[in-house]
Amino acid sequence: MTDDKDVLRDVWFGRIPTCFTLCQDEITEREAEPYYLLLPRVSYLTLVTDKVKKHFQKVMRQEDISEIWFEYEGTPLKWHYPIGLLFDLLASSSALPWNITVHFKSFPEKDLLHCPSKDVIEAHFMSCVKEADALKHKSQVINEMQKKDHKQLWMGLQNDRFDQFWAINRKLMEYPAEENGFRYIPFRIYQTTTERPFIQKLFRPVATDGQLHTLGDLLKEVCPSVVAPEDGEKKNQVMIHGIEPMLETPLQWLSEHLSYPDNFLHISIIPQPTD
Amino acid sequence: MAGNGELQRTVLMATCAKRSFKLKMGLQCRIEEHLPVYKHVFPWRQHFNLSWLSRKEALEPPLDDFEVTETTTATEVIKYEYHVLYSCSYQVPVLYFRASFLDGSPLALKDIWEGVHECYKTRLLHGPWDTITQQEHPILGQPFFVLHPCKTNEFMTPVLKNFQKINRNVNYITSWLSMVGPAVGLNLPLSYARAAFQDEGNVDRQDSSVEPKNLEEL
Repeated sequence: MTDDKDVLRDVWFGRIPTCFTLCQDEITEREAEPYYLLLPRVSYLTLVTDKVKKHFQKVMRQEDISEIWFEYEGTPLKWHYPIGLLFDLLASSSALPWNITVHFKSFPEKDLLHCPSKDVIEAHFMSCVKEADALKHKSQVINEMQKKDHKQLWMGLQNDRFDQFWAINRKLMEYPAEENGFRYIPFRIYQTTTERPFIQKLFRPVATDGQLHTLGDLLKEVCPSVVAPEDGEKKNQVMIHGIEPMLETPLQWLSEHLSYPDNFLHISIIPQPTD
Repeated sequence: MAGNGELQRTVLMATCAKRSFKLKMGLQCRIEEHLPVYKHVFPWRQHFNLSWLSRKEALEPPLDDFEVTETTTATEVIKYEYHVLYSCSYQVPVLYFRASFLDGSPLALKDIWEGVHECYKTRLLHGPWDTITQQEHPILGQPFFVLHPCKTNEFMTPVLKNFQKINRNVNYITSWLSMVGPAVGLNLPLSYARAAFQDEGNVDRQDSSVEPKNLEEL
């Protein structure tokens, strides 16, 4: 029987084999070879692609290079979404490797946030962590921490150091003995078929009668059209970190074990593959 | 004890919907996706160069009549768009905004910082990443600039307590917007506050579900 702690490691060390190809429109001095990389599911594109950038810039002139951005099948990839979320949402039904196109010009201002430095990624990551704690603990745990603890969370993610990260993150996963869970569960539900980028609402992990709410309870409350009726055919896959957890799983458990490093549960709803 | 997020949002929404926001300079408020959305189109800083506003298709819906004072070239005019959204995580309103030149090209974060008034600059420059950042609009999915919400409760609490003391109903949004807006170029005209105050006289004081009476109900 797998220990719950093993789940934390499996989530952290999840990887997606990716092939980066330079966009045909980019001006190069010689042919650019594709670049292969195993991307960490829990990290962010602009944090882990320095080597990709260097590889392609070697065959380009300085004046043709501006801010790097990535695209999959015509869709600009939001670097501020975790890599695993982007893959599950957009490419999980396609064959591996994940084929991503690299651009150095015509930055899509209307679609993507700018990422001029690693500081911007850190600020975004930390603001997600803080928002998650506002929901879980009314910000009490994150505010009690010192600046160096916040820094340790970020450094742990940046340097792929599981133990360094979880030494601090475990405090964000605690709750008072008299409660049965967090105040509210930090989650976002993503669907490519809707206008809205994601759904986020207040949702308690424990019902008034003390019963633990499940993943199914959350979906029924927040996006009821997603879950098929009992006798109906399964319309959608509900995916977190590339797997479909059982709908009976307690949400509190999911929040403690399947959250991303930003402490949010990022849940993808994708149409059931037809094959 | 504060109610759940849904209840608070209803209170906030009702508070905004009561105000008539069609003042000079084209400040409009409408309810979009159950959240109050403010759209304010006005020229950059105090340059009242409104000759371009005669192109009605550039703005929607049509604005009140304006006095054209000077004319200037289109490149000196910057269009700001402000949205007020409600954060259920922090349970406070959050100011989202974006800015572009008339040709549609957007302003960058560094341009926004440069445009912040001198008196706010020190505070914001202390930790720029803590206060104005570029984020994804949670409903539109497009890049906007955002004033960070986590200090909101800190500065709103004394305001609300004060109104309680003098036994007047407060329009949370007006007070909040008058404090955060100026740092990012949104200067509410005094008539806005007067309009809000005049409405108080028409409020049915028995209707406690509409006006937030104290901090807890927010």
